[in-house]
Amino acid sequence: MGTVQIRDVRKSYGAVEVLHGVSIDIEDGEFVALVGPSGCGKSTLLRMIAGLEDITGGEILISDRVVNGVAPKDRDIAMVFQNYALYPHMNVRDNMGFALRQRRVSRTEIVERVDNAARILGLEPLLDRKPRQLSGGQRQRVAMGRAIVRNPNVFLFDEPLSNLDAKLRVQMRSEIKELHQRLKTTTIYVTHDQIEAMTLADRVVVMNGGIIEQVGSPLELYDNPASLFVAAFIGSPPMNFLEGDLINKTNFALDDGTVLTLPVADSSNRSRATIGIRPEHFTIGDTGWPALVSVIEPTGSETQITARLAGKTIRVLIRGRTSTRPGETIHLNVDPQLIHFFDAAPVPVVAELEDVA
Amino acid sequence: MSSAATSMPRRSANTLGHKLRVAGGVAISLVFLFPIYWMILTSFKDQVDIFTTPPKFFFTPTLAAYVEYMQRADIVNRLINTIIVATGAGLLSIVVGTMAGYALARIRLRGAATFGLLILLSRGVPPIALAVPMFLVARKFGLIDKHITLILAYSTFLIPYVMWLMRSFFMGLPRELEESAMIDGCSRYGAFFKIILPISLPGVLSTLIFSMILAWEELLFALVLTNRHASTIPVAIAGIAGDTVNGANWAALTAVGTITVIPVVIFALMVQKWLIKGLAEGATKG
Repeated sequence: MGTVQIRDVRKSYGAVEVLHGVSIDIEDGEFVALVGPSGCGKSTLLRMIAGLEDITGGEILISDRVVNGVAPKDRDIAMVFQNYALYPHMNVRDNMGFALRQRRVSRTEIVERVDNAARILGLEPLLDRKPRQLSGGQRQRVAMGRAIVRNPNVFLFDEPLSNLDAKLRVQMRSEIKELHQRLKTTTIYVTHDQIEAMTLADRVVVMNGGIIEQVGSPLELYDNPASLFVAAFIGSPPMNFLEGDLINKTNFALDDGTVLTLPVADSSNRSRATIGIRPEHFTIGDTGWPALVSVIEPTGSETQITARLAGKTIRVLIRGRTSTRPGETIHLNVDPQLIHFFDAAPVPVVAELEDVA
Repeated sequence: MSSAATSMPRRSANTLGHKLRVAGGVAISLVFLFPIYWMILTSFKDQVDIFTTPPKFFFTPTLAAYVEYMQRADIVNRLINTIIVATGAGLLSIVVGTMAGYALARIRLRGAATFGLLILLSRGVPPIALAVPMFLVARKFGLIDKHITLILAYSTFLIPYVMWLMRSFFMGLPRELEESAMIDGCSRYGAFFKIILPISLPGVLSTLIFSMILAWEELLFALVLTNRHASTIPVAIAGIAGDTVNGANWAALTAVGTITVIPVVIFALMVQKWLIKGLAEGATKG
C-alpha cells in the first residue's frame, strides 16, 4: 500500500517559514503532481517526504506509518533527481542494482530485476556503460530504471525532465505516464511546468508561497480555478484578465471607461472584480467586443492573435487559420459559462515561468 | 569527456598569443628549475670546482659525496625516518582531514562555518611560535625523539590543509549523489564510503601526495622535536649546512639534497596522472 498523507506540514529555516501548513492525502496508485513557481516550496515538500529535509511541524505518513523520524533508506521510496545523480563510477547495471545490493537481495534476483527494468526502459544495450557515456535522455532513463528496480511504495520525481531538450521532454513525459499506467505505483512528481503536471497527473497540487492554492484533477483546475493565481498559472497561453467595476450584474466597466456587457451575471455581491477569459474561449463574430489586432501568430493547427481590448493587451486562440490582418478590428464573443470571476487583485506574474528550462 | 571536445579544431595553436604564452611558461619553468639543476650539478663537483669563479658548467663529475654520505648510517636512518614520518603524517591527515572536510562541506551544523574558519586561521600562527610549546608538551609525555611525535606535529598543519582542499572538492560534487545513495539504502557513512570516496579518489590521492611532500621537507618541528633516533633528512641537510667546525661541505649538502628531492620527483611522476586528474576534477561533473 503506497498511500501518502501529509498533515499540516511546516518547514522553517531558522526564523523563516517556507511551508505554512500543507495537507494532502495521496491514495495508493495515484499520480500527483506538485506544481508552482520556483520558491513555492514544492521541492522542499518532496524532499521532506523523501526524508532529505527535517520536518519542522506536522506529520507525514507513508503507508499509514508516521515517517517524521525515519531515515530515507527506511521509507521504502525511490527518487529521481533533476540531475539524475547517477553514480559516475558504476556502470548502468551497477547503478540500477545498487539499492538492491544495499538491501542484501540475492545476486540472481538482482540480475533478474535489473534485466527486467532494463527491458521495460529499453536500456539493455547500455547496461555495461558508465553514466558519462550516455546521452541526457539515456541518463534520465537509467535514473528511472534505478527507481523501478526497487519496486518501492512511492516514486518521487523532482523535476526529472528539466534538463532535457523540448522534444525529448515530451517523449519522456509520455514514457513516464506509460510507466505509471503499467506499474501503478504511487507517484509524486514535482515540476514547475504546468503542462507536464496537467498531462501526467491524476491530481495536481498547485502551490504558491508555501501554501496550497488548489488541489484537483487537471481539468478541474482548468475549468474552475479557485484563485487568480491558479487561473493565471494553469493554461497555455495564459488566461486573459480584465479588471473593472461591476456597475450592475451584467455591466462591467473597465478602468478606461469602456463598458462591456457581460453575457452572464456574477453571482457574488462584489462591486469590483477581475474577469478571466481563456484565449481559446473567445470566438470571433460580426458583433461583440471590438478589439484591435496587433500580432497574428499562426502555427498551422491554430492561430494566436494578440489584440487590444479597451486598452488591455489580450490573447485570442482560434482553431485553424484567419484572414484577419494586424490593424484590423475583430469582434470577440465568449461563451457565458466560460467567464471566470475573481475578486479584484493584481494578476500574479506567472506567464514567464512556462518555458523555464 | 565528449568526443566534440577532443575533435575541436585547435585554432589557438599558431596564434602569436599562444606562442607568447608558451614562451612565458618556459621562462617561468626555467626560473623554477634552475636551482634544482644547480643543486644536482653541484653535487657531482669536487670542492675545487664548486668554488671556481666564474662557475663551471663543464667539469669532471665525481660521485665522492654520494658514496661517502650514502654509507653513513645517520643519513640512511634519517631517510628511513623521513619515509615513516611522511607516510604516517600523510595517511593520518588524509583520513581525518577528508572526513572533516566532508562534514564541513555537507553537514549543516550550527557554527560549522566559524569552526572551519578558526581551523584555517590556526594556520596563520607562525610555526616557530608553536614549536616550543610542542616541545614542552612532547617532553612532558616522554615523546621526544619518536616518530609518532613528528607525525602528530605534522598533522596539526596537514589536517587543516587536507580539510580545506577536500572541502572545496566535495562542494563541487552534486549533493544529490549522497541523497540518492541514502534513499537507496545507505546511511550517511555508507553514502560517503561507497559513493563519495570512490568518486573523489583522484582528489584524495593528489591531496595525500601534497601532504606527504609537505611532511617530507619539513625542518622546524623535526629540528625541535627529535634528536638522533627519529630525526629526518632535512635536519641532516641543515646540519651539514650549519657545520661551523669544518665549514659547509657543499658537495655533501647538494648530494643529500638531491637524494631528498629525487624520491619526491619520482613519486610525483608516477602519480602525475592522478595529480592532474585530481586538480582538474573539481571543474567537471560526470
